[in-house]
Amino acid sequence: MSGDAVTAPGASRGSSYALQQLARAFNANATSWIGLVTFLLIVALALLAPVISPYDPLDQDILARLQGPSAAHWFGTDSYGRDILSRLLWGARLSLVISTVSILAAVVIGGIIGILAGYVGGRFDMVIMQAMDVLLSFPSLIMGLMVVAMLGASMGNLMIAIALTAIAPFARIARAPTILVKERDYIEACRALGYSDLRIMTIHILPNIVAEILVMASLWLATAIRIEASLSFIGLGVRPPTATWGGMIREGFENILDSASLSIFPSLAILLVVFSLNMLGDGLRDAIDPKLRGGE
Amino acid sequence: MARWLHRAAALATVLLVATVAPPALAAKTVLNVGMAAIDAGRLDPHLSATTPDKALFNWMFNGLVRMKQGTMNPDAALIEGDLAESWKSSADGKQWTFNLRKGVQCHHGYGEFTADDVVYSLARSGDPKRSAFSSDFKDFDKVEAVDKYTVRISLKNPVPSLLGLLINYQGGNMVCKKAAEEMGEKFTQKPIGTGPFMFGDYKSKESVTLVANPQYFRGKPKLEKIVYRYILSDASRDLAFTSGEVDLTYGKQDQTWVERMKKEKDTVVDVFDPGELSVLYLNVDKPPLNDLRVRQAIAYGIDRNQIVQFKGKDTSRAAQSIVPIGYLGQSADVPLAPYDPEKAKALLKEAGYPNGLTIKIIHTNLPGMLAMMEVTQAQLRKVGITLDMEVVEHATYHANIRKDMSPIVHYSAARFPVADTYLTQFYHSRSIVGTPTAVTNFSHCNDADAEIDAARVEPDPAKQKALWKTAQQKLMAKVCGIPVYEQPQIWARRASLDFGFPLKGSLSLGPVIDEGTHFTQ
Amino acid sequence: MLGYILKRLLLAIPTLFAVLTIVFVLARVLPGDPAQTILGDQASAEALANMRHRLGVDKPIGAQYVDFLVNAVRGDWGNSLVTGKPVIEEVRNVLPYTIDLTVTSIVLGTLIGVPLGVWSALRRNTWVDYVARIGSLLGLSFPAFVSAILLLLVFAIQLRWFPVISSGSLDDPVERLRSLALPAVNLGIIMAAYVTRVTRSSMLEVLGEDYIRTARAKGVPTRAVIWRHAFRNGLIPVVTVVGLYLGILIGNSVLTEIVFNRPGLGKLIVSALNQRDYTVLQGMMVVYAFAIVLVNLLTDLTYGFIDPRVKRQ
Repeated sequence: MSGDAVTAPGASRGSSYALQQLARAFNANATSWIGLVTFLLIVALALLAPVISPYDPLDQDILARLQGPSAAHWFGTDSYGRDILSRLLWGARLSLVISTVSILAAVVIGGIIGILAGYVGGRFDMVIMQAMDVLLSFPSLIMGLMVVAMLGASMGNLMIAIALTAIAPFARIARAPTILVKERDYIEACRALGYSDLRIMTIHILPNIVAEILVMASLWLATAIRIEASLSFIGLGVRPPTATWGGMIREGFENILDSASLSIFPSLAILLVVFSLNMLGDGLRDAIDPKLRGGE
Repeated sequence: MARWLHRAAALATVLLVATVAPPALAAKTVLNVGMAAIDAGRLDPHLSATTPDKALFNWMFNGLVRMKQGTMNPDAALIEGDLAESWKSSADGKQWTFNLRKGVQCHHGYGEFTADDVVYSLARSGDPKRSAFSSDFKDFDKVEAVDKYTVRISLKNPVPSLLGLLINYQGGNMVCKKAAEEMGEKFTQKPIGTGPFMFGDYKSKESVTLVANPQYFRGKPKLEKIVYRYILSDASRDLAFTSGEVDLTYGKQDQTWVERMKKEKDTVVDVFDPGELSVLYLNVDKPPLNDLRVRQAIAYGIDRNQIVQFKGKDTSRAAQSIVPIGYLGQSADVPLAPYDPEKAKALLKEAGYPNGLTIKIIHTNLPGMLAMMEVTQAQLRKVGITLDMEVVEHATYHANIRKDMSPIVHYSAARFPVADTYLTQFYHSRSIVGTPTAVTNFSHCNDADAEIDAARVEPDPAKQKALWKTAQQKLMAKVCGIPVYEQPQIWARRASLDFGFPLKGSLSLGPVIDEGTHFTQ
Repeated sequence: MLGYILKRLLLAIPTLFAVLTIVFVLARVLPGDPAQTILGDQASAEALANMRHRLGVDKPIGAQYVDFLVNAVRGDWGNSLVTGKPVIEEVRNVLPYTIDLTVTSIVLGTLIGVPLGVWSALRRNTWVDYVARIGSLLGLSFPAFVSAILLLLVFAIQLRWFPVISSGSLDDPVERLRSLALPAVNLGIIMAAYVTRVTRSSMLEVLGEDYIRTARAKGVPTRAVIWRHAFRNGLIPVVTVVGLYLGILIGNSVLTEIVFNRPGLGKLIVSALNQRDYTVLQGMMVVYAFAIVLVNLLTDLTYGFIDPRVKRQ
């Protein structure tokens, strides 16, 4: 435990507690490990895309259209003769970048909003939470659809659209423990000792919510990837000829009678990433939740 | 008592046999058509230039004359009467008199079609405020109703093919005066003509239903109903066709599709004229395209043959000139830039773009056109030109390009097969988009105005062709438009659908369906 | 109880205005001139000015906002730029299809998900539980359009059991059901995945409660324990999820409608996007705003009926 003997009973235990919690959560069951490893594998592949990609994802080969898997093209070719494997790898980069950046933004912005609201309380809290409720009530895909429709389809706008839908949940989960902790005696003690609000928030409140945020983040990362793929499928993703998983599936759907590879492989890719992230988040949550409830 | 028992038994037997015995198979009378569009555009034959809408107009309207059903031959000798029974022209070709059929009825009870309707219709199609094809009729001086069934058209000067302007196509489609005046703007939602089929119902983004016109002057149509279904997705449309939900479908313009469809049972693939010429019009007023070298670079960067391979060797051919092959006056003796990526890069460097450049364009989501553009995009990328393409819906695209919203306009069109029409509409300064007399001159070129105007009134055919050739040469030297490839119309149908005539060509770009079209089973 | 209902109804009003305001902001961020989009190539400057006046976009933004709110509440959501018909009419035309799909999907989702979740909770840590957990996780991970394409491939293309274009007429009940089948199954299964998980964890929580142990100790038969006590209380979070899920359902139905070519609010919004039909887009957002507030209200009210703690207030 934290070695701070001066703190009153039931004190927050600092950042090392959070890390220990996490470690315990991971060791609790296999699902989170499997999820994490799979996900990291995919991230690695995506990062290495420029190196391991057998072809340029934009290179067309008109004579080799809509082919199934072969020695030259392990996953086959699309309707312009482009190599599906290469496009999958580069599409992975795109999906991961868009989802990571947007969720990161949502975590930071949402977290700040939530902690502030919970800490300050009163009128401020009420107004902010009403706003968050309104945001929450918008279905994520519809919100994303509208934002991209209005602002235009580009990587930046997609990130904005997804981040917008994710802010409210993170604000919510940052707020709840903040309120709980805020009431503790030791916070009074900290204030009496002259600690700044900012310090209180960072050192005492933050570690309590890190674990939950991580759980949420992995689950929301999965959602973000799904939303990006869905928007690309509708036609609101990053513009062609850039390779996107959703766009590839759309193309696959258009050519469904001529080639199954084009629909199947990107579908499997999305499924794999989303499933592994869900396993990660799920496993973590199963491990963390009862402990948190049992604790403070 | 036994007698009624006998009778009852007999009746029962008859009823039993009637219900159990298979009914005589009556041939289908409802035709389901699948079209690659999200929705109807504007259902006004004088306003809409989009393929999905034009197909419908052919089934609903007549012209004063028409080309033989199922053909696209502009030869005056082969043109037949439609709403007009006979016609004659004055010696100088400036006065034409048409004698109308009697007793032709407008759809939905709007009365008999008379000379007044012709006068009204031609005035309408010649009015830039009410028609997109008004410039076709600029040589019309007067259109008069001599009597109830006779119309006289006076021209300012003779026109290479007056009859071509009066066929059932674009401005030549005859609308009914009473209906058009009554409905005003609403005419685009319920157009009234005289053709074999009339407007029935419109379900937004789903379908337009046409019903047979029982009073059609050539006879009541064998088909009862045509349901024109909007299915943009190629895959969905194909699936609908294979499952029988659609009997006649707009084809996917590529080789793979044709091969697959040919192997389907009970299916016939129709390939017919016109070959639509696919051209990239470059706005010579907009930088960076105002630099001839940039335009040339684009021209050299396009590999026509690869696109033809992509589309299908059997169903497309490389373009030769800015006027489609086979049109009267087309010439292959023109400066067509071959595929030369090195030259393209050199030209770009010379123009001040050693690292290439990016051009933002708008394009339609019509699958056949979009596919070609994506191939072109990849080709141009190789020479350093990046096309940032924004894809919009087809009707929206048509509206946008007429507002100069895209410096490169990909347009695919066929016109009445005489060079004058194509050159005037796409390259004459009068037709520049955004002007009161606009047609489809997206390039803003005006270099061949003199030749086009002179050829129009030139009586000597050899001199006329020479003038047209000069026009093509001049315009292509300036790279106003880059002709890419030509593709005939491709549709697929149930083998049991008989149009009633061999389908070799249809200017409306859709199959010709008239009173004789029917299912053989 | 009445007080609760009234309170909820009153709260819905400011929420509605807040949501409508967001819609207005999003809609007015539009680039471009809607008047030009409508009138297109034949337009003169005068005609454009007239159209702008007709659309009301030449007024100051404050006045536009007020007009917008008033019209939204009155049901006047403008006219489609493309067909000229009122947006509310377009919505009314496709609403039956959307309602069909939504209701069937919810029913399917709950009918499959709840029993599965309960079973999984009762058989905790057995193979049933593991299969249910992995299965539901998998179901969650499928983007709606991927599973839709899969269903289309197998059942409509290969097996020809169901039609490919799922519009069908509303009059013929058999056709109606047949074209509803695959889209509803698609949405229903994904929803079932969510419902299973929530039901499971909620039941687990309830089963661990003291009063359950007490009832068992008292000798109440297990079955009665489960049904009378655990189930009822376990239902509450499920209602929450169904309410929350409606948002996801709306999103998924857009994707499903595209794949199966089925008319509905989703297809309406996508084609409005493609056609740059701004008024329909705006109208759709208003529709969704109303739907969202309505759903939240219904969820809250359902709580009122289920949750005894609320009843007692």
